[in-house]
Amino acid sequence: MKFVVDKGPYLKDKDFTSKIMKKLFIALIPIIIFAVYKNGIIPYQNGYITFYEALRPLFMIMIGGITAVIAEMLYVSLILKKREKDFFSYIKHSYALFPGLFLALILPINTPLWLVILGSLAATVLGKMLFGGFGYNIFNPALIGYLFVSSSYGQLIAARGGYLNGQELDSISKATPLTNISNIAFVGSWNEIGAEFGSLSDYFFGFIPGSLGETSTFLILIALIYLIITKVVKWRIPIIYITTVLIMTFIIGTYNGMELWFPLFQLLSGGLMFGAVFIATDPVTSPITKTGQTIYALGLGILTVVFRFLTPYPEGVMTAILSMNLLVIIIDRIGAKAKFSIKKTLLPVSIMIVTLFLISFYIGHHISPREVVDTRVNIVNVEKIEDKITYVATVRAFVGLIKAELILEKDAIIEINIIEQNESYWQDIVNHDYINTLIKRQESIEEVNTIAGVTVTADALKLLVIRVLEDYEERK
Amino acid sequence: MYSGLRLIDKKSMSITESIIEYKDPEIVYIPLVNHSNMECQSLVEIGDKVLKGTVIGKRNDNIEMNIHSSVSGEVIGFEEKLYLSGEYVKCVVIQNDFKEKQAELTGVKDKITSYTKDKFIQILKDCAVTGMGGSDFPTYLKYIGKLKTIIINAVECEPYITSDFLVAILKTEEILEAIDAIMEINEIDEGIIAIRETDYQLKDKFETFLGTYPNIKLVLVKDLYPIGWEKLLIKELLGIKYDKNPMEKGIVVNNISTIFAIYKALKTKRPISRRIVTITGEKIKKPQNVIIKIGTPIVEVIKEIGGYKDETDIRFIAGGPMKGETLPNDNLIVTKNLYAVVAISSSCFSSPITCVRCGRCSNVCPNYLSPVLIRDRKKHFNILKSLHPEKCIECGLCSYICPSKIDVRESVIEAKKEIRRH
Repeated sequence: MKFVVDKGPYLKDKDFTSKIMKKLFIALIPIIIFAVYKNGIIPYQNGYITFYEALRPLFMIMIGGITAVIAEMLYVSLILKKREKDFFSYIKHSYALFPGLFLALILPINTPLWLVILGSLAATVLGKMLFGGFGYNIFNPALIGYLFVSSSYGQLIAARGGYLNGQELDSISKATPLTNISNIAFVGSWNEIGAEFGSLSDYFFGFIPGSLGETSTFLILIALIYLIITKVVKWRIPIIYITTVLIMTFIIGTYNGMELWFPLFQLLSGGLMFGAVFIATDPVTSPITKTGQTIYALGLGILTVVFRFLTPYPEGVMTAILSMNLLVIIIDRIGAKAKFSIKKTLLPVSIMIVTLFLISFYIGHHISPREVVDTRVNIVNVEKIEDKITYVATVRAFVGLIKAELILEKDAIIEINIIEQNESYWQDIVNHDYINTLIKRQESIEEVNTIAGVTVTADALKLLVIRVLEDYEERK
Repeated sequence: MYSGLRLIDKKSMSITESIIEYKDPEIVYIPLVNHSNMECQSLVEIGDKVLKGTVIGKRNDNIEMNIHSSVSGEVIGFEEKLYLSGEYVKCVVIQNDFKEKQAELTGVKDKITSYTKDKFIQILKDCAVTGMGGSDFPTYLKYIGKLKTIIINAVECEPYITSDFLVAILKTEEILEAIDAIMEINEIDEGIIAIRETDYQLKDKFETFLGTYPNIKLVLVKDLYPIGWEKLLIKELLGIKYDKNPMEKGIVVNNISTIFAIYKALKTKRPISRRIVTITGEKIKKPQNVIIKIGTPIVEVIKEIGGYKDETDIRFIAGGPMKGETLPNDNLIVTKNLYAVVAISSSCFSSPITCVRCGRCSNVCPNYLSPVLIRDRKKHFNILKSLHPEKCIECGLCSYICPSKIDVRESVIEAKKEIRRH
């Protein structure tokens, strides 16, 4: 009779790491398909690119993954000198595919394929193997690859068209929604900030410029739900991370008179959703304790907003994750102690939350709208003839500039003459007698309602009046 | 509040129509050991005649705990035998004369409530009542001092095991009588019997008799492992946390089988000489509970009830599959604290792979440890200390849940030893 002696417990849960990784891959499939569809098939169908170019996104993703696997195999066999059984069991449990896959999904469509290979090599070797392989890396390997690619070859990718696919290159003048908002100093109307790239539903479903995998918030949300239900991800991280960014940008937006679209815009553009769901939740490089995960996610949210608003770099997600990766060891130590007492949980978490609010208000204040809005209205000339003062000013409207002459007498505007305008729906302004309304109600100009359908034009005219009156007050 | 995980049940396997009593063996082996492997000294020599209940050994330290003979007969030697901890311990070997002559010739008491507290404690000492849920901890130590609440632990949260269940079902009235007596003698106001909410049969049985005892209430707890662990059970039932010992808060927790041992002690002033052991697992042909004389090698009983299904690659576990230990053979001696042996197949686990840091071990720990961090920091003593590995209760949930199949508990146990060494 044979008895086996080993250590208990002699019951084990049915879940395996390999099953977890399989589910992670399943969650990525719709996102990969969408990346190919949006960046390959649609532009091809509309005749913007050739068939070969249509396959490009698929090539990028495959090459990213395959390079990572090959790089790992070479490293394990040549440097770690593992052979046969050891080699196969190592490869089987190191999930080499993922860094390459994730890297391809966070790169712009116009990244040259050779650069994808280099990036994937950097991700695997620098980001993972040099740290001791899967399970021992401090930084997310895909982000190391990303850092390598964007720091050394960012200009090159931008010169080739950056984030814009064949079709987008034709219709969109700016790189991405986030570069646009960064350029106009963060404050403005939806039309100025986001409308060029599509409607909010285009943002939600992913038909906006961005890296291969990051654009479809809809699919990423579905993936997140799947990953939470199947217990693959540490759910606190994406949920708290996203909520933090929403709260902070809500405060910043509200502070500057922007409505709910602003936090939504921040959520839907850039790599926030993809980063929060797939990159920040990488088990190896995120905290294991619940309090740790909470602190980590709050930190990610705060850093993302700080990077987006206070640095010249429009995208903050990847940098934020790399920075927080570095702190995981310390965060986990706080988290482990927090498990023993509620006080030790509440203290660090509330410090983070207070920081979150302070920084939101600081940024909200810092990006005050006045300086920005002033650039929309430009006072060209001021002339005083007897009692009358004549202003010539321009305002940026729906299509280009509106140039007008405003005549003031006895502290009030008595006449507005439009010198030049190219607005599409000018007739509506005329029909509503909007200009005379503005003159009549200049005392309480803030209360003048806009005109549905020609909001931008109407608002521009109103702004023009407001600025001229302000300027007049100052001169007195 | 987190109280553990729901595990597979597998209890119905060992519940049978009737329960058999294994015939007394020719030779019994009484291990000279008490709680947490405290060695005891022998008080007999080869050739000595002993009676059932004769004190044949005692603890060496200042805790009064005797070892009794479970049969009458003659001491024929000393032998090292396998104990449930997996270690070989010195045993007194007694040739059974099957006369069952009692050392204490006291009659059966009618009224067991009439003892003073001092007398009660003396009886617990004399009859060597110890924790029958596995600990073998001297029970009288739990009754020193003022008590407010008694909790009777009939939760039995380990899968497969049904010995406490059967004691509760078969001896319901005796147990209630004993609880009532304990409460009166120790001036305890509150008595709680804790069972799992899925134990419908037990619930019905207790509810039939509880009407007579207004001070004793039945509380159902969730079917989670390791909710039967003292600290968690107290928190679950009373919402009270304690530091080292439940006595600080005036609480005593006894396993239901221990309560029955107290009943016997109060009623007859004799130590128990038999106990129910669950013999179960997929490898056992006819899993069931058997009443066995203390000191019997369990291999005899297993043979008697039909043996193994097949005899290859058996994990032979003393205790439950979560907290128990596999033994090198089945020549195990039945002791007061052996509530079960489980024989299962050995070919079901894959070998461990790298930790992915999923954090599940940290989430499932009922005592708020971070097992994988302890595992990482084994060599950094100062950090290790702040992670408190000494608080580990070795429930095994961390190793159970690990998707990489790493034996996390073992690392924590090692860290625990490391802390003790310093």
